[in-house]
Amino acid sequence: MDSVNRFGPELILLAMAAVIILADIGWALAGTGAERMRRPALGALALTGTAASIIWSALLIAFDEQGEAFSGMIRVDDFALFFNFLFAGTAAIVILASIDFLRRNRFVAEYYALILASTAGMMLLASTIDLIAIFVALELTGISLYILVAFMKDGRSSEAGLKYLLLGAISSAVALYGMAYLFGITGSTSLDEIGLVVSEANGETRSALVLAMVFLIAGFGFKMAIVPFQMWVPDVYEGAPTPVTAFLSVGSKAAGFAVVMRIFLTALGDGSISSDWATVFAILAAISMSLGNITALVQGNIKRMLGYSSIAQAGTFLIGLAVVAAADPQLLLGTSAVLFFLGTYAFTNLGAFIAVIAISSKIGSDQIADYAGVAKRSPLLALGLTICLLSLTGIPPTAGFIAKVYVFNAAVQADLVWLAIVGVLNSVVAAYYYLRVVLNMYTAEPASEESIQPGYYLGLAMVVAVVGLLVIGIFPSPLLEASEAAARVFG
Amino acid sequence: MPFLAKWYDLRDLGNAVGAFLDWIRDLGGPDWIPYVVSGLIGIVAILLWLLVSQLAFIWIERRVIGRMQARIGPNRVGPWGLLQPIADALKLLLKEAITNRYADKPLFWLGPVLIFIPALVVFAVIPFGEGMSLADLNVGVLFVIAITSINSIAIFISGWASNNKFALLGSMRAIAMLISYELVQAFALLGVVIFAGSMRLGDIVAWQSEFNTWMFLLQPLALVAFLIASAVEINRSPMDISEAESEIVAGYHTEYSGIKFGFFYAAEYFAGFAVSAIVVTLFLGGWTAFGLERWVPGWLIFLSKLYLVFFLFIWTRGTLPRLRIDQLMAFSWKFLLELLFIHILVVGAEVLIWHEGDYPAVVVLPIFAVINWTLAVALVVGWATFMGHLRPERRAKRAVLTQELGATYFRPAGGHGTGPMGEA
Amino acid sequence: MEDTGSIVAFWLLAALTLGSALAVVLIRDLIRAVVLLITSFLGVAGLYITLSADFVAVVQVLIYVGAISVLMLFAIMLTPRAGRNNAETFFRIPGILLAGLMAFTISLVSLDTDWAVVERGGFEETASAIGEALLDKYVLPFELAAVLLLVAMLGAILLVHPEGTDEE
Repeated sequence: MDSVNRFGPELILLAMAAVIILADIGWALAGTGAERMRRPALGALALTGTAASIIWSALLIAFDEQGEAFSGMIRVDDFALFFNFLFAGTAAIVILASIDFLRRNRFVAEYYALILASTAGMMLLASTIDLIAIFVALELTGISLYILVAFMKDGRSSEAGLKYLLLGAISSAVALYGMAYLFGITGSTSLDEIGLVVSEANGETRSALVLAMVFLIAGFGFKMAIVPFQMWVPDVYEGAPTPVTAFLSVGSKAAGFAVVMRIFLTALGDGSISSDWATVFAILAAISMSLGNITALVQGNIKRMLGYSSIAQAGTFLIGLAVVAAADPQLLLGTSAVLFFLGTYAFTNLGAFIAVIAISSKIGSDQIADYAGVAKRSPLLALGLTICLLSLTGIPPTAGFIAKVYVFNAAVQADLVWLAIVGVLNSVVAAYYYLRVVLNMYTAEPASEESIQPGYYLGLAMVVAVVGLLVIGIFPSPLLEASEAAARVFG
Repeated sequence: MPFLAKWYDLRDLGNAVGAFLDWIRDLGGPDWIPYVVSGLIGIVAILLWLLVSQLAFIWIERRVIGRMQARIGPNRVGPWGLLQPIADALKLLLKEAITNRYADKPLFWLGPVLIFIPALVVFAVIPFGEGMSLADLNVGVLFVIAITSINSIAIFISGWASNNKFALLGSMRAIAMLISYELVQAFALLGVVIFAGSMRLGDIVAWQSEFNTWMFLLQPLALVAFLIASAVEINRSPMDISEAESEIVAGYHTEYSGIKFGFFYAAEYFAGFAVSAIVVTLFLGGWTAFGLERWVPGWLIFLSKLYLVFFLFIWTRGTLPRLRIDQLMAFSWKFLLELLFIHILVVGAEVLIWHEGDYPAVVVLPIFAVINWTLAVALVVGWATFMGHLRPERRAKRAVLTQELGATYFRPAGGHGTGPMGEA
Repeated sequence: MEDTGSIVAFWLLAALTLGSALAVVLIRDLIRAVVLLITSFLGVAGLYITLSADFVAVVQVLIYVGAISVLMLFAIMLTPRAGRNNAETFFRIPGILLAGLMAFTISLVSLDTDWAVVERGGFEETASAIGEALLDKYVLPFELAAVLLLVAMLGAILLVHPEGTDEE
């Protein structure tokens, strides 16, 4: 029973997905009378699922129930639980933000079920310690997201879905190829055993290990959306329904980082290979940040801009990974920096996208130029978006500031000063395009005076996100401690 | 076995072959020679038997169906028309095999060749008698399912290569049928495998002989489903919608003539025999018959059962009208599959009870038989009633695909028939 | 892999697999490409047999030859005629170069590496062993695969549902 118990947070999400689908069939059979209650009730079910998942994760901590499950397939430790909270929380906010968006949509149940299934897959990506389970979880996450991206079924959404599907399938295949190499070298799919063999590896397997590493980075780089595996980002972010874009930019990216940390720190953490991948990550970090920020400068569409900005942010996370390879204290520092950054980034980016959902659905445009004078039409929304963009820039007292300081500090301590400098320079560049939006909202003349009122649920989601990132910005210690505890798993 | 293992004891054909192989082995030489020789003997024997059976059954089928339809059937060539199959074969050999100008020539040639492969290869795993099996694979049942699905690829290739709209329609139908009925086939056989606890065809026969039962007594639903699904896969009437002559000329082999058409004609019989052989092996006790195999050669028992099952196919062809494509598709997805899911669940539970409780088979098996028969009847009647009683607006709309596959599309009265593709 | 028969079989099957895979890439006619792909799949199934993995071999035929390529054929058949053949692409030369480079790297690495080779005898009952592994050690990925298929089915129905997303 321990196995099922530890699998609980994921299990309850999957169970709730099934319940939602069945409930929807129930509504269809019940006839038109109960139709009015369908959408709110299904949304409530989905939220209950995420809440139950969070509670279950908390109970696992409270009763000290951490450990392995399913004969070494998953390991529920502080790292996995950290991501359980992150993913379930993200899913909850995304579901809140979707309720208004789905007001006239007929596939509500499918939407929620797919979000929940995808979340369960992401949680598994953070907790599995076996290559086979990792791959299945990767596909579970991926396939749900492919469908969600194409959910609107109009031209742009379908195109985005197709692009995401094709590139996603290729990247999965590449990752699988890398896993096959790992298996071929070590004869095991368990990350622990691979780690053992790799730490004792002699020169005979080195070239194959490097190849496996490259394939894995390429495969998971797609999920993390780092350069040069970022081609899909702008089109998919633009074409997907905005709540799904928010989910992609936070959940999917964090899942990519979770599984990369799991694999690289557990299986490839020892031996000479670790300095190899640290170098690769350092270079990718610099390229991702620079390319993402520079391209974001010229974007006119806010979703595309946020897409490029998320590439740049991913580059910043990679600094943390690049730091890991040095001595032990840095390992902790680097890993916890990534985790902390992911935590703050979740709130920040979700907040930004929710503001975009609220504003864009009213003004009917995603163009930054059309955001002119939004502050006059909806002061609170503009304030929320401003705070989120400030946090993305890294200006105190927001959470983004502390996260950036943390990461750059880790880089300096690991003698990667050049990387820290690249990061700081990039923050300056990023400030330009983030603040351009803010400036546009506050100083330009609005096209109309009609006020913008976000729906009740959307407003709630916005408040959660903004309050969250301000609280982290002012009292960072709980999240810091949590991410350090999670990082200690690999220490 | 009480047989004298002398080479001249033809009650078990294996004796003679075994003696021959021993003789070769005694001559010396590398190990693979007896292996190859035994394989060759099996292949030649199966081919010869197939050809003879086919010639015989062409005549039998035409006579029987003639009688069923109040006609006489072939009666001019030879006594009672007995030489008709040979005359047909000669005619097919001598006629020109036309290849139309716009055909995809390599594929057009490949289709008729390929269609033989699955029908022949299946016989490799069939135990014709004790030890009379070319290769008793331990994944025999899976092998059978895997190989029979290739049949439809051959049909598809020939229909496509013909570059003819009727041929293409036939191909599309064949593929649609394959997709629909492969699952049914697999699930029907899954029940058998669960009971026998092995996928080796020899083991399944041995299991039936050990417990003195035939599988169809225990799992009637599986037999019915498998018969229907196989009839679809081998394009036997009334499921031969991929060559429905009343709708699409001759379906996938519209453009074929001469010996190429002869290939399809022959392959149809071979596939029919193959499916009958599988049914006999898995559901009707194979070469055993409650101890009768001690007195009569096993292969004779096997062949008589096989011919009986094949007669069943002839019988259905003679009596039942051809189904429409959408009916056939719906029947698989909305009827057979659901029943088989329940069937598998029940069968699995039964085996679990049996093995966990360690009950004697004599007590348990009759109970299971009664349960499964009752269940089969109840399920078929119940599900049919349920489907039939759905209010018209609740019935699923006709699938888009069935329209594209050339089904006649009726609009229900009352303006309720906005087809999924708009107006049909 | 010691005896001559296995070695001959291996090289024949490898040639069949790679040759038809190469033809799949080079050929323009999509239907012929799928037929060659089927040959390639069959070659892979044969390679599994030389590795004594009979269950995997049969499943390869069942899934890839019997199901996946059939679905491909079906999909090609339902696409408009104009789109049936592979078009010339702009990236042809870079593609060939990249593929060549990949092949070179991979073969170099493969030859250079000391693989974790497992010694195994001839045919055993692989089916039951696989069944036990799936429902014991690998039960989690196995059940997750079921969820994955459910999600994929849900998505397929959702995306091809002929009625639009909005109810108005």
